[in-house]
Amino acid sequence: MAGLGMKAARVAVVVALFAIWEILSRTGIVDPRLLPSASDTLLTLVELLQRAGIRNDLAVTASEVMVAFILAVPCGALIGFAIAENRYFAEVAKPLLFFAFSIPKSIFLPMFILVFGVGFSQKVGFGFFSTIFIVIMSTTTAVESVKVEHLTVARSYGATRLQTAFRVYLPSMLPVLLEALRISMIFNLTGVILAEMYASREGIGHQIATWGENFQMKQLLAGVVMVAVIAMTFNELIRSVETRCSHWRT
Amino acid sequence: MQPLANVTPFKPGSRAGAIQISNVGQVFKTATQDVVALSDVSLDIKPGRFVVLVGPSGCGKSTLLMMLAGLRQQTSGTILINEAPIPQPDPNRVGVIFQEPSLFPWLTAEENVEFPLALRRIPRSDRRAKAVDALKLVGLEGFGKRHPHELSGGMKQRVSIARGLVQDPPVLLMDEPFAALDEQTRMTMGDELLRIWAATGKTVVFVTHSLTEAVYLADEVVVMSARPGRIVDHLTISLPRPRTYEMLGGETFGTLRDRIWRHIRKSA
Ligand SMILES: Nc1ncnc2c1ncn2[C@@H]1O[C@H](COP(=O)(O)OP(=O)(O)OP(=O)(O)O)[C@@H](O)[C@H]1O
Ligand SMILES: [Mg+2]
Repeated sequence: MAGLGMKAARVAVVVALFAIWEILSRTGIVDPRLLPSASDTLLTLVELLQRAGIRNDLAVTASEVMVAFILAVPCGALIGFAIAENRYFAEVAKPLLFFAFSIPKSIFLPMFILVFGVGFSQKVGFGFFSTIFIVIMSTTTAVESVKVEHLTVARSYGATRLQTAFRVYLPSMLPVLLEALRISMIFNLTGVILAEMYASREGIGHQIATWGENFQMKQLLAGVVMVAVIAMTFNELIRSVETRCSHWRT
Repeated sequence: MQPLANVTPFKPGSRAGAIQISNVGQVFKTATQDVVALSDVSLDIKPGRFVVLVGPSGCGKSTLLMMLAGLRQQTSGTILINEAPIPQPDPNRVGVIFQEPSLFPWLTAEENVEFPLALRRIPRSDRRAKAVDALKLVGLEGFGKRHPHELSGGMKQRVSIARGLVQDPPVLLMDEPFAALDEQTRMTMGDELLRIWAATGKTVVFVTHSLTEAVYLADEVVVMSARPGRIVDHLTISLPRPRTYEMLGGETFGTLRDRIWRHIRKSA
């Protein structure tokens, strides 16, 4: 648990980083055309957020991310569960999954474009593809974190399958699952934005790529800050649920 | 209380808590060979007796307990509890207390004790009342709201005893319940258990590696040998009750412990 002093120190570090950024740019130590100052960037960010076009891009990205996530998590969880519970399936599938997981997903992006074209389904497809392996692997780990002793206790008190699922499996797995959810979202977001940057007509990833190509550094940096803040907010949200659900894990 | 399909109706009467084990064998089929864990084990346990199983590691004590609990089926012979076989776990007849406290860490002490009742859909208030009573019986009044990680090893084991007692089964099975505790806690827990046992009149089958603990607690000590697991001796401990610390140094105590030790050394 972080005390108040610790939190203040963290805020101070962030403020200091922004201050260094501002100074580097203002004094010209770093060329301001390459690194616009922090204050300029933040002003641009506010200005960008007021544009309908940008808001639309954000909405497009958000919906792609959500759809990919909502599809990938249950599918991955189901497959992961099946693998963990079925000895034969596990022995066949597990090494293959490790192989698949080790491959950088980005090399498949051109294929996704060939199959899905450039658009919503391509982004969702690639987001799904980037996410599902980590979901499968985390679910398998989560199932394996269920203690045999706890299952025996439940059995010795005559628990039904459903009761065992809800009263032993679910609470045992919850902390690991929440963590998995959090990490999957990182993979998912990366996948969708990468797909947008590579080939797209809309979406925040597409905008960031365009700003970069046109050397619009202020907008580019503002976009970076925007995506970073969104990702961190989601991450922290799940993390707070995580700490509440896993207080017993000491 | 709602009757459950898989539970044999409890017959209150003189045989409640009686255990009859006749010619029981257990063979484990492994990839390489068949392991005969138990062979021709017969044992008659009268209601309300405190029976301790001892024997070298791997002689099948846990296996026997698993079968008494209905968690595993014997490959030959019959087991009767309250004069009925036990094809699956029946918490109304048998309560099991495991070595590692095996409490659910995400539940409080009270909720852990309530767990067996929650499975039967007993109303929340009844459940809580019974859990509070059970915790009181094991001397943990006022600790119900704590989580297992906030309790000491001895307290955790008390909670699992309370969980085993909460449905008031006539038989309690305990597989090395105090093995993970330090010497002092172990002694106090033994006295506690004897107090609870005297107050509730349950049949207890208790597994331990400590011969002192065995003689101190038991009405009867059953000595087993390994490969295959068999019963090699069955002693009645006639020391008076309540048992006291002073008895540990007495002559009867020493004689009994020596006799058990000789069996174990021979078969190990
Ligand atoms: N599931 C299993 N599959 C195969 N063999 C088993 C299995 N369970 C137990 N055994 C074997 O059966 C024998 C008895 O095991 P058990 O656990 O009952 O011994 P134990 O007397 O409780 O030992 P300990 O004192 O070490 O707890 C051992 O030889 C063990 O290897
Ligand atoms: Mg054992």
